[in-house]
Amino acid sequence: MSKVYFSTWRGEQINNIGKPEEEWEKSAYNLPLEYNEHASSKAFIGWDGLALFNPDVDVVRLATEYAAQYQVYSEACGRCAPGRWGGRILYDLLDKIARGEGSVADMDHLKEVSRTMQDTSKCEIGKTVPNPLLDLMHHFEAEFLACINEQKASKHYHLHDTNYIAKITAPCMDACPAHVDIPAYIEGVRDLRFDDSLMATRQTMPLAHTCGRVCPHPCETECLRSNLDSPISIMELKRLGADYETDHGFGFFHPVEQKPKIGKKVAVIGAGPAGLTTAYYLALDGIDVDVFEELPVLGGEVAVGVPEYRMPIDKYNQDIEAVRDLGVNFIPNTKVNADMMRQYEKDYDAVMVATGTRISKKVYCENERADIQGYWGAIDFLDKVNLQVKYGIMVPEADQKRHMLPADFVDLTGKTVVCVGGGFTSMDVVRCSIRANAKKVVMIYRRDERTIINNTTYEEYHEAVEEGVEFIFHSAVAEMRDENNVLKSLMIDMFELVPDPNGGRATLEKIEGASFEMECDYLIPAVSQSADLKLIPEEWEIERTSWATIKTNGKDYMTSRKGIFASGDCEYGPMTIVNAVGQAKRAASVMARYVVTGEISLNDDEIMEDHLRKLKVYDKKKKITGWLPGLPRQHSEVLSVDERRDNNLEVKYAMTQEEALAEADRCMRCYYIAMVAH
Amino acid sequence: MIEFTINNQPVCAQKGETILQAARKAGFYIPTMCYLEKTTPCASCRLCVVEVDSTDGLILSCQTPPTAGLAVTINSDRLEKERTNIMKLYDVNHPLECGVCDKSGACDLQNKTLEFAVSAQNFSAKEQHRPVQHWGLINYDPALCILCEKCTHVCNEIIGDDAITLQFGGYKSAVVPKNSDVLDCTFCGECIAVCPVGALVSSNFQYTANAWELHQVPSTCAHCSAGCSLTYEVKHASIATGTKEKIYRVTNNFEVATLCGAGRFGFDFDVHATKDEELFTKAVEAFKNSKAIRFSSIITNEEALILQRLKEKFGVKLFNEEARAYQSFMAAFGSVSGKNSFSGSLESIAQSDAVIVLGGRVSTDNPAVRYAITTAARHNGAKVIYMHPLEDELMQNVITQMVKYEAGSEEGVIAMLAKTLLNGCDVSDEIQSFLNGLDEGYLCAESNVGDEEFAQISKTLIRAKRKTLVVGLDILNHKNSANIAKLCGLIEMATDFSVVVISQHVNTVGVSLICDLDSDKPTDNVVGYNASGDFTVGSMGVCDMLVPALNSQEGTVTSLNYQVLSMNVAIGFEGYCLNDIANELGIREVNTIDYTSQLPIQKGFKGVDFDSLSNFYGPLGEDNRGYILEMMDVACDGVIDDVCQLPEYNGTIAYACNPVNQFNIYTAHTTQLEKDNALRGSAQFAIAARLAHGDRVTIEGHVGTKTFIIDETLKGTIALNPFYEESTANRGYRFEKIKLTKVES
Repeated sequence: MSKVYFSTWRGEQINNIGKPEEEWEKSAYNLPLEYNEHASSKAFIGWDGLALFNPDVDVVRLATEYAAQYQVYSEACGRCAPGRWGGRILYDLLDKIARGEGSVADMDHLKEVSRTMQDTSKCEIGKTVPNPLLDLMHHFEAEFLACINEQKASKHYHLHDTNYIAKITAPCMDACPAHVDIPAYIEGVRDLRFDDSLMATRQTMPLAHTCGRVCPHPCETECLRSNLDSPISIMELKRLGADYETDHGFGFFHPVEQKPKIGKKVAVIGAGPAGLTTAYYLALDGIDVDVFEELPVLGGEVAVGVPEYRMPIDKYNQDIEAVRDLGVNFIPNTKVNADMMRQYEKDYDAVMVATGTRISKKVYCENERADIQGYWGAIDFLDKVNLQVKYGIMVPEADQKRHMLPADFVDLTGKTVVCVGGGFTSMDVVRCSIRANAKKVVMIYRRDERTIINNTTYEEYHEAVEEGVEFIFHSAVAEMRDENNVLKSLMIDMFELVPDPNGGRATLEKIEGASFEMECDYLIPAVSQSADLKLIPEEWEIERTSWATIKTNGKDYMTSRKGIFASGDCEYGPMTIVNAVGQAKRAASVMARYVVTGEISLNDDEIMEDHLRKLKVYDKKKKITGWLPGLPRQHSEVLSVDERRDNNLEVKYAMTQEEALAEADRCMRCYYIAMVAH
Repeated sequence: MIEFTINNQPVCAQKGETILQAARKAGFYIPTMCYLEKTTPCASCRLCVVEVDSTDGLILSCQTPPTAGLAVTINSDRLEKERTNIMKLYDVNHPLECGVCDKSGACDLQNKTLEFAVSAQNFSAKEQHRPVQHWGLINYDPALCILCEKCTHVCNEIIGDDAITLQFGGYKSAVVPKNSDVLDCTFCGECIAVCPVGALVSSNFQYTANAWELHQVPSTCAHCSAGCSLTYEVKHASIATGTKEKIYRVTNNFEVATLCGAGRFGFDFDVHATKDEELFTKAVEAFKNSKAIRFSSIITNEEALILQRLKEKFGVKLFNEEARAYQSFMAAFGSVSGKNSFSGSLESIAQSDAVIVLGGRVSTDNPAVRYAITTAARHNGAKVIYMHPLEDELMQNVITQMVKYEAGSEEGVIAMLAKTLLNGCDVSDEIQSFLNGLDEGYLCAESNVGDEEFAQISKTLIRAKRKTLVVGLDILNHKNSANIAKLCGLIEMATDFSVVVISQHVNTVGVSLICDLDSDKPTDNVVGYNASGDFTVGSMGVCDMLVPALNSQEGTVTSLNYQVLSMNVAIGFEGYCLNDIANELGIREVNTIDYTSQLPIQKGFKGVDFDSLSNFYGPLGEDNRGYILEMMDVACDGVIDDVCQLPEYNGTIAYACNPVNQFNIYTAHTTQLEKDNALRGSAQFAIAARLAHGDRVTIEGHVGTKTFIIDETLKGTIALNPFYEESTANRGYRFEKIKLTKVES
């Protein structure tokens, strides 16, 4: 709810003109009333209407500036006749009126050009720019006519008292934590300009191969095409640009030319997605970066957590090489401790902590003891599997013994594996267990099938079932039973969902007498992970969240200690790759300014990005016109169960070019311009 | 098949077809300004909007496939109004220089402005100063540009240069060279062809003629074996000097066909002569006394047939080593495949999703092959496996796997390739034992191609459905070309690959089919016909008697696709021609083209008269040019020899390879094409050959001196040695150990 003077946002009609402020009716939307801590907004104008926050807004000038922004944002326009010329004419005519030289005929022309743009423009930006302009001309006609009839400039025309800050967005871009310019990379595919496509992705997302495969794609949930039929297969289209670069042996297509060295250096702790992203964007800004990594290999959890069949390491290495290509210095096999951190703080201009969450949480059952053989944390289990499969790093002898392995790799022949989880990590555990030739693989999950699909993906769950994983829903491990510290069996409790008679949330209640014993060799907890923050010197007293992760304000990613930043899972808690990338990209931008000025700041683009996310760009009620419904979403081919279950071949083929182009053609290019006047 | 309706009439669309494509096939007219059939939709003009019953708003027909049962309306008051408004916008501030604009009379903007009756400019926008850009053979005027993007699409998707791009800037948007200040491209000029307005024009042609004054002569390009369709546009040279005509420019049907720079800009290779009786008598005498005729393949089928008739009548030998190499190759190929030609074509390359290129530098040997590969790579995501001793920068953005082999080791490479491709195919025991008997270790070591590279090829091909093997020019003159040909024939016969064998000249294929060729040995009294001899008759440079060049002749050629294509007279020739000589010698036909219907039917020619051959593309892109030769069965009795010793090439090696747009002495003779005959080598080559950038050198066994240039795009110790200025005689295997001598200046 926002207190507004006037609003037509998303079809609301709030008109407080002439009313005393205390009687103002409120807007239903989270409009950006406060631009930042220093400035209050005067107006907000965008694709779906406008809102005025005080009576002293020069609406004619506001309209002119909005039209001008359409010209300025050249990246998204200039590609269709109505948008290109129409946009220019809108601006020229509005400015003519605003400076006091307009005529009534100009108003008519404005309306006519607006209609043509609304009906025929290539993308939503051209179709929607006229919307608020027509609103203004309709609701504030008198102010326009006053300029025309009296041939005088609009009230603030000659005063430079207002800043107009605009931002291009799109529902998918807004939903993506890394705010990837999705319509641009899809347009690159559609135009068969795969280099342009990749460069569009890399503006905010360096891991194009990776996020073309293993992203949970929140963008697709907020794809406007789903209002018409089904969302674009956004994630997979990212692969075309990345494959183009790799297949043809080009160097790396960076989104901008790397800046010359500025003589500043940053230490990054952790070479996972957040660390790589921080390093990439800092290096593009001409900053020297040293990345310290505990493991012998680079890539963090995507390298040692995500299995080969989902994320082939040669592809991930391409993404990593793109970072190295900018001169980033990687220092593996280095576990950073508090002393080292104290030193880094002195040696570097800033430090990024991006160490992830690598401690597997307990399942909280009776007799849950880490020293029982057969009890094996998911993170460590996946480390051992992936280091061998991807890098040929064998399981050390001590670990072989500890985990009762017959060989120097994870061989589960004849064994029964029980995993407790429900998220991506647990899916990786069970599917890797199948590939390690386990006799029986069981997933214990407290909730139901629908929830596991929501938490992962339909494909992931479906493929696991196909490969032979047994899922027991509404279940939990009650007790571990061992003989001489060797796991023998588990007691499993069964639950049922009991509706709250008062209409509240249904609760899980244990079904008495339904518990049973299950023999097993391994229990692998994959419930969740926590952060290992022992590297943070205690005397720094860095603030933590209630989940024991590092606390920041979620905007600039600086910790409570100046110059020490945090991003990725160690800040947010176990979350997605794209979330880590989004945080790290923002943090890198803040750090690049910080190392020069010593100040923590957000630029206008970032401020607007946060405002828009709060407002939410995607509108699931929006009616789509001008696009033909019923064109099916393309699905890429998947290896058959027999082809995949006993090896690490990538399960999913890339889309064929034909499928990719058909899919790209479905994208509606829902670019919008939003603008705040303050 | 999707059934739907347009204006209430039932229409069908194939899977993947858009509403616009289906409409055009069914004969409906939907206006467009930016649509180009051969590229992906630019989707910038928005004129093709239509109404449908399943949603509100206007649908873009060029990029939307229809759904079953859809009711489409392609004209209505609303559509008419929006299209008119778009045209009004297009016309805002478009410079009113139609009076002098090259495009006037053939301009889409002019046409559509008339169609939509836009008679006044109701809106205005601030004018901007936008100077004309001069890019060598191409001029670009941003003020005239309507930003339809056809040029950028064709450059990237068909040509592969990807040399121009749109600089986005709203109203200030313009076409600019990509990643460069100046245009760095192969100057195919296809951007000029597709430009619907006068924004991209030929700098040579600009302001020299109006479109409507030019007389159009449809013909076939004479420079390489692709047989591209082109139109010579002709007008008298000057009002003052009378009626003598000259070719002003070459255009092409860019909607469906493509032309390279040599075809487009290299048109002025015509020669002129008058009827000199004395010389003619000498020529007839020379033929009469000759023991052999040495000739090039840059002649028509009809000329080739006349030469064959001379042989049949007088027993003269016919020398053409270049065509003979192709003839022998195809004979060996057919002895295994069982056919006299191959199943692939330029078209099949373009439709492939996997292409293997072996033994040739296709980008300069045959640009049409390059364009077909680019089309396949871009549009079908084709995997392109490029096997050659030299990298080719022009091909980098299509190649997905470079397999670099040692010069000379082609036989070993193709044997290993055959083994890779035949894996799992049903073959005879004999073939299987041949494959099993290959000494893989030796072949891999000598060719320097690892077995992992062949494994990678297998992996790449798993999902491919339409596969083509392109055999390049290197192979034809390889010492073991016959066995290589048999291995290619084996691939054609036993796998699902289509094979294309590239031939060198415009009519190598025709000559190889028509003429019974002899091995060229030192002989007295050789008449050279477009080739060297004791008496030379020809259409190039210095000849004892001139005959018309291919832009002054009627006749046909046979392209690498085995397609018989016509050529027409663009510039009249007033001297004598080969047919006149033949008539004197008792081989009588009134006109050269009287031989068209006599071309050998047993080789697949059809007994069709020249005047019955059409030469155009239909409105939907149908190739109505000449005819395709029938594929003939031949005896399938070839035995593949064991692959034993592979030749080695060490030291400084030159690879006979022309620069872009240069093919032969005809292209060398034209005025617009860049002439760069420098020997180009890598820095490593320079060290090995003890040369510095800019040195003048002589190459032992070759005439004249050349400048040596260090080319940063090259690697290794093989230099590129252009030969386009030399005679069209066969040069043998393209890799050659050379001895270079520095010439002191």
